[in-house]
Order: sequence, then structure tokens, then C-alpha cells
Amino acid sequence: MTKLNRFVSVVAAAGLAATALVAGTITSADAATKTLVISSDLPLQGSAFDSNDSTNKAIELYLKSINYTAGKYKVSFKKYDDATAAAGSWDAAKCAANAQAHVANKAEVAVMGTYNSGCAKIIVPVLNQDPKGPMLMVSDANTNPGLTKAWNPGEPDVYYPNGVRNYARVCTTDDNQGSAAAQFAKSIGISKVYVLNDTQTYGQGVAQAFTTEAKKIGLTVLSSGATGEGWDAKQSDYTALFTKIKALNPDMVYVGGIFDNNGGQLVKDKVAVLGDNTKVKFMGPDGFTGYPDLNKMPEAQGMYLSFAGLSTDLLLANDPKGAGATFVKSYKKAYGKDPVGSYPLYGVAAVQIILAAIAKSDGTRKGVNNAVFSGSGISIPAKQSVLGKELKISTLSGDTLAKDITIEVIKNNDETTLKAWTVK
Amino acid sequence: MAISLLKRSKTSGKKKQKSPASARQWAISLTIVAIAIWAFFTYLFDKTPDAVQAWFQVWLPPSTLNESLVWVICALGLNIVVGYAGLLDLGFVAFWAFGGYAAGWFMSGFFHQVNIHFGSMSANTIPGIHLSFWLVMVIAALIAGFFGIIIGAPTLRLKSDYLALVTLGFGEIIPQVFTNGENIGGFNLSNGTKGISPIDAIGVFGKRLGPFDLGWKFLIYFFLAACMVFVSLRIRGGRLGRAWLAIREDELAASMMGVPLMRTKLTAYAVGAFSGGIGGAVYATHVNGIFAERFNFSISIILLAMVVLGGMGNVWGVIVGALLMAWINATGLPAVGDTFNNTFHTQINFPSYNFLLFGGILVLMMLFKRDGLLPEARLKMISHENDDDTSNTGGH
Repeated sequence: MTKLNRFVSVVAAAGLAATALVAGTITSADAATKTLVISSDLPLQGSAFDSNDSTNKAIELYLKSINYTAGKYKVSFKKYDDATAAAGSWDAAKCAANAQAHVANKAEVAVMGTYNSGCAKIIVPVLNQDPKGPMLMVSDANTNPGLTKAWNPGEPDVYYPNGVRNYARVCTTDDNQGSAAAQFAKSIGISKVYVLNDTQTYGQGVAQAFTTEAKKIGLTVLSSGATGEGWDAKQSDYTALFTKIKALNPDMVYVGGIFDNNGGQLVKDKVAVLGDNTKVKFMGPDGFTGYPDLNKMPEAQGMYLSFAGLSTDLLLANDPKGAGATFVKSYKKAYGKDPVGSYPLYGVAAVQIILAAIAKSDGTRKGVNNAVFSGSGISIPAKQSVLGKELKISTLSGDTLAKDITIEVIKNNDETTLKAWTVK
Repeated sequence: MAISLLKRSKTSGKKKQKSPASARQWAISLTIVAIAIWAFFTYLFDKTPDAVQAWFQVWLPPSTLNESLVWVICALGLNIVVGYAGLLDLGFVAFWAFGGYAAGWFMSGFFHQVNIHFGSMSANTIPGIHLSFWLVMVIAALIAGFFGIIIGAPTLRLKSDYLALVTLGFGEIIPQVFTNGENIGGFNLSNGTKGISPIDAIGVFGKRLGPFDLGWKFLIYFFLAACMVFVSLRIRGGRLGRAWLAIREDELAASMMGVPLMRTKLTAYAVGAFSGGIGGAVYATHVNGIFAERFNFSISIILLAMVVLGGMGNVWGVIVGALLMAWINATGLPAVGDTFNNTFHTQINFPSYNFLLFGGILVLMMLFKRDGLLPEARLKMISHENDDDTSNTGGH
């Protein structure tokens, strides 16, 4: 035969040999006690790396502190990366591959993640159809409402082909954050607001929620449309935009979006045209939190921010001796610095839900999922919760029952916590 | 697969010409490998010991195999434009996006205002447009092909660099349209950055392929890739293919010999885009959704690198290049990184060196093997036309 065919047969023979070799070694591994695996599925490339790496470290530390046990089960932790270097952020194909890998890993019973709602929309339906499942996923950071409640047509049922829920989250959703921001604006005496959005899913979501709530509680919304006016992240200058806004004389400008979408220029031009943030107030959602670059800008001083949950500062201030504060201290001790942003604590909170579910279950995927979505469900008492207050997951939707938002203000080149806000 | 021999004069006696037999061997070998993979993952995989399954999950997960085939289909399309016709295309990702969104539009509940079902496995009560997978493949290919002609049109009077710039622009514009296409005069074209998910399951012979039927999906994707190989080889051997090669080698000479430049270039774009459309639709069914964020410039570059590394103009080279690079990106680098870190207890983030590696490989290839892994015989002859016998020793 030809060279090529010979090559194919050599590869086939080598493959067979490798199979036989590996097969020979597994008997010893089988003898070890059965350990349940929980995993994290987060983007570990690109700009989201720092925060998510911190989340993984926090989870590892927490599991170590509880001696890797959940009830009568031993657990171990496995990290998945849902980003590729080629994409520089989360990658849909990688999410699809991870979904398969979660199901294929027989010892794995639940997933902590994802960071991006889009990735969750790919993984959740696959885990939902797992023949041995459904398999539970608990997210620390997905704020897109459609994953758990009616939002776009067909949502959220399209993500649960089996008809059974298997997705929960410990953070609140975009709609709550927008509402809280509007309520806060009213409380500081704002009457006329102009709403901007960065034209992306997340930005439009919060801008829409803000606009709806603002109208409901009697603020005048000067921008038109349900989501306000879009700003184009590729523009080099927003002077014209703010000059137009100035003519309408607003008390506050609300920006729904993320800082990465040219937020720096937006902040500069806002102050250049409308004056500093004490005159015309300026507010953004958690897409503007966690950016030292923003905090150091002179134009950003006095800007209000909201965070979909309780910020780490607030957790420490509320209960300096609680589980959350103790955990942050031990994190600092172990790694020499504070966790990056506020999501790492939420990652641990999500793992607490998973561990409680495992403890309550028979150790199967189905059992772990049922523990969250049937009967009394899962709640973590305030004493144990790293979030400093009782954490309860709705057995119907999988959402957290807490609707806590933190209002922050940028002061002295740093994000400082102003107050906690519970959505009314 | 019957392959007609490209008519050309045999100028070089030393270099072995690609014969139809060689193409047939490639086709047969790849088919055997594909069927073996399908049989393994469909029937044997679940019965193998856990350690074997774990090994495959780390080094060669079935979903990576399927993803690689998406890259192969797209790279084959780009090979027609770049490898055959010699037109540098830096915006091929646009056709991938068109194909993906075609699947999003016609295989999901996205257009919930209507309720159209044709040959789909989804329940008739679910609103949206639900067409058969095979029909959607044709539609996706035709939509992408149509836009291939549109992009081809303004490039007719352009050459080399200017042509590349127009395609680059096109590749930037189309994903932006999808990113911002949530509200075009009140019409939701693309659902913006939220994307469209999930996509209907593929139905084949009355069987509904669920998320875990990866072996069957592999076979279907392989079949589509094989169709593109067949089309590539057949066209190349024919009148049109020879016209493309003539344009690639000398546009002026080709036009003087009576090759209609306009029509020939347009067809190259159209056929290439056709393949890109199929690749895009396959991608959408593979990930079960379509998201605008994915379609960035780096996709076009990686596809181009696959074609160049594999061997421009040689379908087998392009296939090898695409499989190799797709594997490195999806599985190889993270797996090597994990193994390395676990062995030496380091914390190096290997995948972040992806582009460094690609760049390095490209530079090395250009230095030592600039015709690609499996060079096309004809291009190899041209690129070594001026080498005299004494200097022709390095790396060939």
C-alpha cells in the first residue's frame, strides 16, 4: 500500500496500544473511595481573568477550610476555563465543549458558574438533558433575567428542555439593579434623568429596568425609548451627545453599560460639558465597578455606582465578626491580597449552595439537583453564609430571594460604599 | 471520488505530480478514519474504562473533533478564495456569521411571531421558523454565497492590498450589523449581543440528534466537509478552477488569454462564501446557539493561518492545517498547559500564549517551509522557480 495508508494503520495500531495500556492502569484507581467532584466554569483568559482567578482561589480556600466535606461526602474541585485565547473572552464553542465535559466527567455532580450569561445559555440546556441528571449549575455572576424568568419570548423555558429546573444563582438580576438605581436617584432628590446605554445586552437590560422604574416612581425620563439612547463605543468623542443632553437640563445622567465600552471618554466628556458630578449627578451599574482606572480619573469623582449584591466592604462593615469577614481575612492571609472585586465571595456563596445540596442528597446528580428544586430547597443561615445574611434559593425559579444592591460612590480615587439598598 | 486531472504541461520531471490516485487515497484514508472515529464514539466510547474516557476528555474530546470540522469547512471555503484564486480575504468571518445566523433564523424559536414548520424535529406547537437541517444548510450557503457576490462586486477593479482592505471592512461591518441588529426600524434581526439560542436539534432519518449524539453529528459534519472537498477538487480540475489558478499566478496574463476576470473572481468569492455559510450553520448547530461577539477579526486571521500553514491551494494541506490549529486552540494548549503545570507545580497560563505560538509557527514556516505543511505541487514549483540546484537544500 501507499505511505499514507501505512501511516493510517500505524496510527490505528498505536491508538489501540495506548487504549490497552491505559485500560491496564485503571483498576488501581477504582479502589479509591468515591469522591464527588464539583467544578467551576469561568473565563480564565482576557480582562475577566483577575476576578475569576480570585474566585477559583477563594473556592479552593473555602473547601480547604471545611476539609473538603459536604455531609457524608468527600468533595474535590475541578476548574474549567470557558474562554479561549483566540476569542480573548468567553467562547461559545468552548462553553459547548465544557458542557459536554461536565456531563462526561462521571464523578462530577454540580457546576459553579458561569460568569457570562451567554455561556450559561449554552451550558444549561445540555446539563438539563443529562441522562443521569439534570445536573445542577449555580452561578455567581449571571445577571441576565431571561435565564430564570420570563423576559424574551420563550424564555426561560427554552433553556430547560426537560421541563425541570437545574439552574440557580446567588446574585440578583439586572432588572433589580436598574430599579434600585432609580429608587436611589429619587431618594437623593433627582427629578429629571437622561438614560444612556452601551447597546449591549447587559447595558440595555439595566437601562431598561432603570427607565421603567423611574417612570413608575414619578421621575421625568428625558431620553426617549425603553432603554434610553445608545452610545457608540467606537466613537472618539461624546461632546455632541452631551451638548444635546445639556439643552434638556437633567439632574442626573444614568449610564447602563460596561466601562470597557469607552466609558473613560464618556465620563470625561460628561464632566466637560455638563460640569462635575456634584452639579449634574452621574450614575452607572456594576459594569463600572472594579476598575481602578475609572476610580483614579478626576472626572469620575462623585460618580454613583451600583453593585448587584452586597459589596465586600459592606459585608465586612455590617458584620465584622461574621463568616464573610472571617473568610476575607483568611483569604488575605493565604494569598497576600484581598479578593479582586466582589464576585469571589459570591463564588463561594454559590459553592455553599452546592455543598448544602450535596449534603442533603443521595450523592447523585439528580439527587443534588432535587435538593435545590424540591421540598424545602436550600438555604444557608446567616451565621454560615459568607454573604453575611441568610441565603435562600427559590425552589421555583432558582433565583436568590435576596434583592440586595449596594450603592457606591467614587471618592478619593476609590470606590467607597455608600449604603445597601433593598429593592422595594 | 473521481478526480479529473488538472491539465498542465509537465515541466518538472523531478517533482512528483499530484495524480488522481493520490487524491483517491487521501479521500479513502480520511473516510476510513472518520468512520472509525464515529464508530468509536457512538458505540465503544461508553464501554471503555473510565480512565480511557478521561484521557479522551482531556486530549481529544468529541466536541473538539466536531468543532475542528467546522473550521475545516470554513478553511476549505477560504482556500478557494485565497489558495485557488489568490485573492487575499481578511473578512471571511462575515460568511461564517451569515451561515450561523441563517441557522439562528430558520432553526429556532427566534421569529416567535410566526409558526412555520418544515421537516424539523421540533414540536409543531413551538412558535418560530423550524426548517429541516438540510434545507437550512442550503439556505445558509445561498445567503452567504449571495453576499459573497455582493462583496465581490466592488472588488472587481481592485488588486492585492486594496482588495484585502475591502474584505477587511466587510468582515468588520457584518458582525457589527449583527451586534447592533436588535432594533432595525423596530425589527429585531439578530437579538443583538444576547444572541439566538437554542437552535433546533438536527434530524436525520427520523432520528433527533440530542446534545449527546456527538458521534452522529461528527458523521454529518464530516459528510458536509467531504462535500466541500469534492466541490473544491472538481471545480479546480475544471475550466473555472484553471481560470482561478491563472488569475492567481498572473492576472494580466490571464485576462489577455481571455479569462473573464470579473466573472471568475466573483465566482471564487461566491463559492468560498458558500462553504463559509455551511460552516457557519454547522457551527450554530454545534454550539446550539449563535452569538455576535464570537465573530471578530481574529477568526478571519486564524482561518487564513490555517490555509497558509496547511498549504495554500492544496485541500489536503488545508484540512490538516485546520484540524491541527483548531485542536491546538480548543484542546491542545490548555491540555499541555495543565499537564505541564501539574508536573512541575507551576502556574503558567499556557492558553494566553496562543498567539505567540501561532506567530512563532508562522515565522518558522515562512523561514523553512513557506509552501505549507502539504504544499500544492504547482505553487511549490512556482515558488522555487528561481532556486538553483545548489541552494535548494533548506527544509524542502
